[in-house]
Amino acid sequence: MFKKADNNALWAIGISLVLFFIGGLLTTVAPPLIDKSWSKPFENHDPAQGVTGKLVKLNEQQLKGRAIYVREGCWYCHTQQIRTLLADTKRYGWKGVDAPISTPDEFVYDDPHMFGTKRTGPDLARIGGKYDTQWHRTHFRNPRDLVKGSIMPPYTWIVNNPEEFNALVAYLQTLGRAKDWRPANDYEK
Amino acid sequence: MQPQFSKAEVTKVPEGALVHEDATAKWFLISSVAYFFIVGIIALIIAAKFVWPDLMGSMSWLTYGRLRPLHVNGMLFGWLLAADMGLAYYVIPRLCGVPLWSEKLGLATAALWNVIILGAVVTLMAGLNQGWEYAELPWYLDILVVVAWIMFGINVFMTVASRKHQAMYVTIWYTMGCILWTAFVYLTGNFATLFATGTNQANLNWMYVHNAVGLIFTPIGLGIAYYFIPRASNTPLHSHKLSMIGFWSLAFVYVWTGAHHMLHGPISQWLQTIAIAFSLMLLIPVWAVVYNLFATMKGQWHQLRESVPLKFLMSGVVFYLLTCFQGPMHSLRTVNAIVSKTDWIPGHAHMAVLGCFSFFAIAGTYFAMPKIMGKALHSQSLANWSYWMLMIGGLGFFTTLWLGGFWQGWQWNNVSIPFIDTVIALKPIWIVRFLSGIMMFTGIVFFAYNILATALGTHEEAAV
Repeated sequence: MFKKADNNALWAIGISLVLFFIGGLLTTVAPPLIDKSWSKPFENHDPAQGVTGKLVKLNEQQLKGRAIYVREGCWYCHTQQIRTLLADTKRYGWKGVDAPISTPDEFVYDDPHMFGTKRTGPDLARIGGKYDTQWHRTHFRNPRDLVKGSIMPPYTWIVNNPEEFNALVAYLQTLGRAKDWRPANDYEK
Repeated sequence: MQPQFSKAEVTKVPEGALVHEDATAKWFLISSVAYFFIVGIIALIIAAKFVWPDLMGSMSWLTYGRLRPLHVNGMLFGWLLAADMGLAYYVIPRLCGVPLWSEKLGLATAALWNVIILGAVVTLMAGLNQGWEYAELPWYLDILVVVAWIMFGINVFMTVASRKHQAMYVTIWYTMGCILWTAFVYLTGNFATLFATGTNQANLNWMYVHNAVGLIFTPIGLGIAYYFIPRASNTPLHSHKLSMIGFWSLAFVYVWTGAHHMLHGPISQWLQTIAIAFSLMLLIPVWAVVYNLFATMKGQWHQLRESVPLKFLMSGVVFYLLTCFQGPMHSLRTVNAIVSKTDWIPGHAHMAVLGCFSFFAIAGTYFAMPKIMGKALHSQSLANWSYWMLMIGGLGFFTTLWLGGFWQGWQWNNVSIPFIDTVIALKPIWIVRFLSGIMMFTGIVFFAYNILATALGTHEEAAV
């Protein structure tokens, strides 16, 4: 079969595509058909089944904030995924409570997805409700004023534009909130 | 098709011999080398921002978030893919024993490619970012990429169809494979993602990102190595059978591995396991290729002393072996829990794209450009210097990021260390990275100047 491909270009093309498509289709088209949690939004009202909550779509302002997050490339340095590792659940917990592991059903409406790949800064999957608006304003103006040693760039043009700033913070406050993981509902606004 | 004789006076070939016009190869190579230099400046600015985070911080279009995609897309598509295409336009007609099917179509492709890259610079700096890694460019530029790729594909396939030698050398398979696989990989990453969300979209995105390296840069880069190593050393390839094993196992194995970019993440465990299993199988095509290329050089290693292209080529093979050993090892869950998302990963990625595939492309350009121009390389000693600057700078870059990344990963796994302390700990690493970057950039400047002086300079020395 492969010998013939030495002399016959069409044959070579045919085999390379067939081999490619076996893995190509099985790893891209098949998984969402097999694993329904990729497309079913998170919803749980029974505490016995684990953490409760419901995934809701972002409103217009939050979507605008998300677009700013995409535009400025925040996702190059911040991931949005609590992995199945203690190092993640402990580190990105808050005030003694572990962060719940991220599951596909929490991200059903995400477009583009913002899972990210590099943590130059901390993960933001459960950042929603940890810091208030004033904290974010100071931090975006100059991160080093609040976090000494940070290498995050300043974002003055966002802070100086109230519409953009409020939209971005509104989006950040939604992150990780589909799962209602704070015991006393002690989220910051 | 009639052979073309446009450079017959310069090279004084016997009447009736085939002379390649090489106009397309020349312009692709010239523009890619220019982008290598320009985007190299962006790379240096990015590395400097890790050391001085307020640098250029007041201008939105010069922030890290805008420059990083410009660096990645500029290096991948402006430099590396364009250089690889230019070399394919040079190599394929020679292996087929016929002139390129259409130089006009080729030149139009080169012009279109430049339009795309300039468009990418403007849109990325303006923040028009689609939000997918390697697929940041807006859809209208994506469509132009597809058109340019079809033009490239038609030219290559028509040349292959009109070939004089029936048996196809391994470089031809790799180039054809690259063209076909890229078509589907690129469509998945840039268009199929438009119709998906969340984890499903991320899975398509990672299939594209992984295979941009595995089924675009790997096959065309290996095709170049398979051509230029025997050519530059005047030695036949060690084994045809091994090259077949390497090619066909690559065709089957690579595409399965995309999900290893989301290990431990919000994606099905069984899909992660499949990706891990196939990632380990990658060792088969890699070791088949590396053994074949090393065995080709058996008894010929002394030639590296005199030949800059061979230095780049064989160093590239060593980096290929290393980077493709790291890759499968990263995909093991235990190793991944330490290195994933750390600075180790850019160290790994740069060894693949710069240390291996860019070294192959640089070698090919050093070899091909004097032949295309019908004159000697501008300066052999400058070429030698460009090798050592890129080699030492590159090693400094890779090794410090591995050490730093591994250290960072261990610190993250100790939750009693606050995150900011793990940032501060890496500052010395980023200073060394910046200094290594200066060395690498110097190597790029030497290379780019040497090639442009050869291509555009006025000296008329005949090729040796």
